Amino acid sequence: MTHLSVLLAAQARFPAPEFESYTLPEMSLEELASDSVLWRVLVLCVFLVVGSLCFYKWRSRKAMLAYSLAGLAVFGFIFASCPCPVGMFQNIAEGVAAGSYIQPGVLLLFAIPLAVSLFAGRVFCGGACPLGAIQELLHWKSVFVPRPLDRILRLIPVLLLLVFTVCAIFGIGFPLCYLEPYLPVFLLDFATPFAILSAVFLLVGLFISRPFCRYVCPYGVLLRFFSMFSLLKPQITSHECVNCRLCEQGCPNGAVLPPENAETAVQHRTGSRRISLLVACIPFALFAGGLFGYFSAPVLSSFHRDVRLQNELDAGIRSEAVEAFESTKTTHEELRARVVKLQNGVLLASTAAGVLFGALVMAELIAEARRRREEEVYSIDASLCFCCGRCYAACPLERKEKHHEK
Amino acid sequence: MTRRDLIRTGLLAVILAPFAALFRKREETGTGYFWQIDPDKCVQCGKCETECILPLSAVKCVHQYASCGYCLFCSGYYQDKRIEFNTAGENMRCPTDAIIRTYVEDPYFEYKIDEEKCIGCGKCVKGCLAFGNGSLFLQVRRDLCKNCNECRIAKACPADAFVRVPADRPYIYRKPPEVKS
Repeated sequence: MTHLSVLLAAQARFPAPEFESYTLPEMSLEELASDSVLWRVLVLCVFLVVGSLCFYKWRSRKAMLAYSLAGLAVFGFIFASCPCPVGMFQNIAEGVAAGSYIQPGVLLLFAIPLAVSLFAGRVFCGGACPLGAIQELLHWKSVFVPRPLDRILRLIPVLLLLVFTVCAIFGIGFPLCYLEPYLPVFLLDFATPFAILSAVFLLVGLFISRPFCRYVCPYGVLLRFFSMFSLLKPQITSHECVNCRLCEQGCPNGAVLPPENAETAVQHRTGSRRISLLVACIPFALFAGGLFGYFSAPVLSSFHRDVRLQNELDAGIRSEAVEAFESTKTTHEELRARVVKLQNGVLLASTAAGVLFGALVMAELIAEARRRREEEVYSIDASLCFCCGRCYAACPLERKEKHHEK
Repeated sequence: MTRRDLIRTGLLAVILAPFAALFRKREETGTGYFWQIDPDKCVQCGKCETECILPLSAVKCVHQYASCGYCLFCSGYYQDKRIEFNTAGENMRCPTDAIIRTYVEDPYFEYKIDEEKCIGCGKCVKGCLAFGNGSLFLQVRRDLCKNCNECRIAKACPADAFVRVPADRPYIYRKPPEVKS
C-alpha cells in the first residue's frame, strides 16, 4: 500500500474550509540560526595556533594535555563531532565527482589542518581533533607495537583511504562514518550497536597509544604525507643529546628514531641488494594490487542503492525500496542502464586504486630498506609524531632546563 | 630554495586552488547544502525515527496549514482501527500524543504538532496521506540536525527521499493542492 499512498499524495480531497474568524497559523520552521560551520572554522584556527605555540614554543607536555582536553570538550562535546574533518575527504571526493555542492565551510575544515601540517606538523591530531584528543587522554600504560608490525598495520589506513574515496565518488556511501568509533561517546548515546565498537577501541587505546589514529584514520594518511614537508620540526631538546634513550621509550607512537651509526660495508651491500630486489618486484606488486582491486569491485558496488534495488527486483523480493521504486516513473531499463554504468565505473576505479595501493606498499617497503641519513642523536619522525609532548617530559636535559627556569 | 620548500609551496597551492573555483561556483549552487526530506518521495517507513545518530531524531512532523482540510475525523489524528472517536489512547494515531487538536468552529478542528513530543515516526503522515490532503509531512529540522558527512537516515531510506538542499532554502514544502471549484 505504500506506493499507492505516494501516488495519491497531496490531493485536495477536503478543500480548505472558509472560516469566518480564524486566520491560518504560520508554519514555524526555524532557519539555521547562524552558519555554525564557519564558527567552527574560526575556533579550529585558534586551536591550531595555540596548539602550535604549546608544542613548539612552550614545549610542555602539560600544555599539550590541556590542549587535548579543550579540544575534546569543544569539538567532541559542544560541536558534537559530526561533521568532522576526518570524514570530510569523502564529502570532497563526492562533491568533486558530482561537480557540485562543496560547502566553503566543509572545504575549509578539510583544508586548514592540511595547510597547517605543512608548517607545524600534526598539531591537529594532537588535540584539535576530538578523536585524537579522546585517545590521548584515555591512554594508560603503553604497550609498544613492534616496528615491523607497526609498518604493516600502517598500510591499513592507506587502503581505507583509497577504498573510501572510490565509495564516495560513486555514491556508494561514506563508510568511514560507520567506522568512527567514538561517536557514541560524544553524543552520550550508548544504546546503539556502535557502542560495542567504541568500547573495543577505548579498551585497546588504554594500552596501545592511539589505535584509531595510527591504524584506521584515512585522513591521517594525508596529514602524514603533508607533515613530511613541515617547516617546523619537533626537536626533543636543544641541548646536546646524551643518548640516554629515555625519549624513545617515552614515545608510544614509535615516532622517535634512534641514532643510526655508519654502516659497515657488508651491511651496505645487503641493503642495496634488498632494494634492487624490491625494485624488481614492483611490476608484480602493481599487478597483484590491480587484480585485488578488480575482484573487490563487485563487492563494493553491491553496497550501492541502485545495485541493491536491482538485485531485489531480480530476486523478486517485495521490499519497501522495491515498492517505492515502482511508484516512481523510472523504468526497469533505465535502472539497469544506471547499474551497468555504475558497475563499470567502480570496476575501473577500483582496479586503478588497487594498482596505486600496490605502488604505495612498495614505496613503503623501499623506504624501510633504504639507508637513513646518518644521525648521531635521537630525532623525531615528524610524519608519525602526534605532538603529544611526552618526549619533552621524558628528556632529562629538558627537565633540568625547566627546573632551572623556575 | 630547497627541494623541500618547493614541494611545500606546491602542496599549499594544491590545497588553496579549489577556493578560487568555489567562489565562482557559489551563485550556481547556493551557499551550502543540508540534508532534507523530499515529502513527495517519502513513504513513511519509520526509519527516520530510528536511524538518526541523535538519541531523539532531528526529523519531525510539520503541518502545512494551508493545505489542511480541518476535518472533524482526521485520519492523521485517529487510528484506522479506532473503537470510538474520542481521545482515548487506543484511538489515537500518534504514539506520543504529539498532535494537539483545538476546536475552531463547527465542524472544523485545527491540528498542531507538539514538537517537544514528536519523534518523527511518520505514522500521522501516512494516515493523512491515505485519506486526507497530505498536509502533514516529515522534515529535517535545521536547528536539530548535525548535518553529518553522511546522514544515516539517508542511507537507510528505502525511497531515496533524502536530498541535499541549499542553505537559503532549507525546507521542501509540499505543493498546495489545487482547490476544486
